[in-house]
Amino acid sequence: MCVGVPMQLTEINYPSGVAEAKGVKRTIGLQLLPEGVLEIGDHVIVHVGFAIEKVDKKMADEIWEALEEVLQMMDEEEEERARGLSSDGDG
Amino acid sequence: MNKTDDIIRHIHSLVPGDKKIRIMNVCGSHEHTIAFSGMRSLMPENLEIIPGPGCPVCVCPESDIINAINLSQRDDVILVTYGDMLRVPSKEGSIRAQGGNYRMVSSPQECIQIADSHRDKKIIFFSIGFETTTAPTAAILESGIPENLYILSSHRLTPTIMEILVKDAEIGIDGFIAPGHVSAIVGANAWNVFSEQYGIPTVVAGFQADNLMLGIAEILRQLKYGETKTGNVYAGVVKPEGNVQAQKIMDRFFEVSDVNWRGIGHIPGSGLELREEYSGKDARKVFDLQEIKESAIPGCICGNVILGKAYPADCKLFTKVCSPNSPKGPCMVSGEGACNIWYKTG
Ligand code: SF4
Repeated sequence: MCVGVPMQLTEINYPSGVAEAKGVKRTIGLQLLPEGVLEIGDHVIVHVGFAIEKVDKKMADEIWEALEEVLQMMDEEEEERARGLSSDGDG
Repeated sequence: MNKTDDIIRHIHSLVPGDKKIRIMNVCGSHEHTIAFSGMRSLMPENLEIIPGPGCPVCVCPESDIINAINLSQRDDVILVTYGDMLRVPSKEGSIRAQGGNYRMVSSPQECIQIADSHRDKKIIFFSIGFETTTAPTAAILESGIPENLYILSSHRLTPTIMEILVKDAEIGIDGFIAPGHVSAIVGANAWNVFSEQYGIPTVVAGFQADNLMLGIAEILRQLKYGETKTGNVYAGVVKPEGNVQAQKIMDRFFEVSDVNWRGIGHIPGSGLELREEYSGKDARKVFDLQEIKESAIPGCICGNVILGKAYPADCKLFTKVCSPNSPKGPCMVSGEGACNIWYKTG
């Protein structure tokens, strides 16, 4: 939930916009950054659907490199959970 | 010799032969990188890297979870929260097991869509987390939220809990790796208090293993030469002043409050609640929610794990009866919880 992912802005309709990462497009909130600083093509770090900071492409790529493993792990866990719902002993 | 080897060698050269050094990370994603990269086994023996309070789901009070379950059982309510929160155990079960009407969201923005399409219901967003999730919740308030949407705030402040840890001699922290994205919001300067008042080097680092190790090396360098100051090896993302616009928006809607941390207790000034002028949106006030006494989970030492006083493996239930598929305590639920991370890395 707290994992921030870098995405690239493809549309700006401040205070919202569309950003893309790994072929996935999402509408995101931009109001945590000043309107004037954002341009189409910029990379931003997105937390729970909101851009929290602008970064350059090199930094975005570096963060993705570190994230890929984490996200893959989380996906696997989700799948596992989905398969084993009945064995989930919470509650 | 590659870059990683260079950093590891550098770290070894900075650690004094005998003295034990304890460096704490306060971010689930940092702990994730540290555990999955196997970094601990490459560090000098007398250097400990301990996981701290980096998991917001883990510290969310049981009282808030039970209140959320009870609210979701009302016919006129839809409770909305982040996925991890649905599975956190309480003495009344989890939201997923016991809750009535609930929905999972991955962004506060989705709460607005749910509220718009269920005009006949009261939508309650159980909003939890540190500064990286507080700011987005403040952002939807800034844009204006539907009349039937309310906020149950269980937000927590990272710098405040870190100050509590520093004052606890039993933990004995020599340095902090400050969380990368929380720092993007609050700014690297927010950690100056640790170097200036407590003489504890604090370095902002990112999530890449090399970057984290650079942060560790910088803490060790400062300890060796006695020049304590806030460091930042993640300057491509984190500015000294942080995200000023996000800080202003958070401040407009939230004020500091005295709150409980699960397994830890009451910590004055460590949480955020909606300001009085927005009390009409505050689920605690609108639905008259009362504090419910926390019950200990038999055998679970999650509180001590969060405080850096114990490792997950010190818990008798770890891997034997407590696992991600059957979590007994909150630290096993979320991918940011130390027990969950350690379970997956063996
Ligand atoms: S292993 Fe489970 S029971 Fe033990 S401290 Fe962690 S969450 Fe609690």
